[in-house]
Amino acid sequence: MTLVNRLGIAMLAVAALTVIIPNAVPTALAHHSGVEFDTSKVVEITGTIKEFQFKNPHTWIQVMVPNGKGGTVEWSLEWGSPNSLGRQGVRPTTFPVGAKATLRINPMRTGAPGGAFVGAKFEDGKTVGQWN
Amino acid sequence: MTRNLRTVLGMCAGLLLMLGLSYGQVAFLTPFDKLPDWSGAWSMTGGTVFDRASQTGQGGALATGVREHPPYNAEWEAKYQKNLALRDQARFPDVVTNCGVPAGFPRMFNLPDPYEFAVRPEEVWILAENGPNVMRIYTDGRKHLEDQWETYTGDSVGHWEADTLVFTTIALKGSRDGDSILDRTGLILSDKAHATTRMRKTNATTIEVQMTIEDSKALTKPWVVTKQFQKMAAGTRLYDYGCAENNRNPVDEKTGETLTLGPDGKPLK
Repeated sequence: MTLVNRLGIAMLAVAALTVIIPNAVPTALAHHSGVEFDTSKVVEITGTIKEFQFKNPHTWIQVMVPNGKGGTVEWSLEWGSPNSLGRQGVRPTTFPVGAKATLRINPMRTGAPGGAFVGAKFEDGKTVGQWN
Repeated sequence: MTRNLRTVLGMCAGLLLMLGLSYGQVAFLTPFDKLPDWSGAWSMTGGTVFDRASQTGQGGALATGVREHPPYNAEWEAKYQKNLALRDQARFPDVVTNCGVPAGFPRMFNLPDPYEFAVRPEEVWILAENGPNVMRIYTDGRKHLEDQWETYTGDSVGHWEADTLVFTTIALKGSRDGDSILDRTGLILSDKAHATTRMRKTNATTIEVQMTIEDSKALTKPWVVTKQFQKMAAGTRLYDYGCAENNRNPVDEKTGETLTLGPDGKPLK
């Protein structure tokens, strides 16, 4: 299933859960152009980590986010390459499966449930990426 | 001196002459202990706008209004402006995001992520983690092939002038097939492009690469571009870069072509 198809499953149902934070720092992406992400906005989502794909050319964080109707929607969040992140101390275990976290992202321009990862804060207060 | 002795001495002289010729070839090589130390990991400085010296506009290669000013002729300036207009609409595809083609030269010296420069008397390897991309520069005295066909990275041969590696690169396919650019502003060259590059360590932590690019189709005069690389922390590791490992670009089911998506989530083509 392609990203487009996957993201097409659920669109703006979770938008009510989001908060827009203006003037945030855009995420730098080395491989893709990043045009699909709206770097002028940062949106917060809260959910459970389903998977951290620590693979090239970019890592992807899969997050299950409640949709407000008793179900969940899977969000796909793109981050940097595992190589560059690994040199900065990020590891495949950085996002443990099942962990609950609030994540800040540059959302997809299409409104699909995905975006470019900016930062995350776990339930225990630990943060990853650009949070402050 | 007997005839036999003269014969033996003559054979020895011939043998020495042969060895001398052979040694002459080897002597062309700069001994390993005379080569500069380019060991370690290196990172390009200044972002991926290829020619920052001629850049106008603020920001990176994707920022609206940013462009460079190579000495294009009118025809290629128009091609560049067309690409810039697409870039401004976030609709200029960068083919390397398809994970299918090399960055090519001169983009080889315009990549994010670390580099390694492996130096041997007979050859220098430019190793870029991004891609990954490899460029080979032969320093063993060989010449360019007269009938060399065009490729993304072309054919490079060179020599050492003290601590400076000087090499020429020919046989570049350029933008001929629409799959090779210099940066994401849409900068391109033709299949007539060739270059002379001077590469040297300017201090303990900086390597400078100065490319003089000529292109009888696209440029009105030689275009000199300088890139710099900064040494990274000791012990920095490089990793493999399986670009297709988790490439989420969709594939056209009819053609098998990997597609690049625009801001609307639809393929750019």
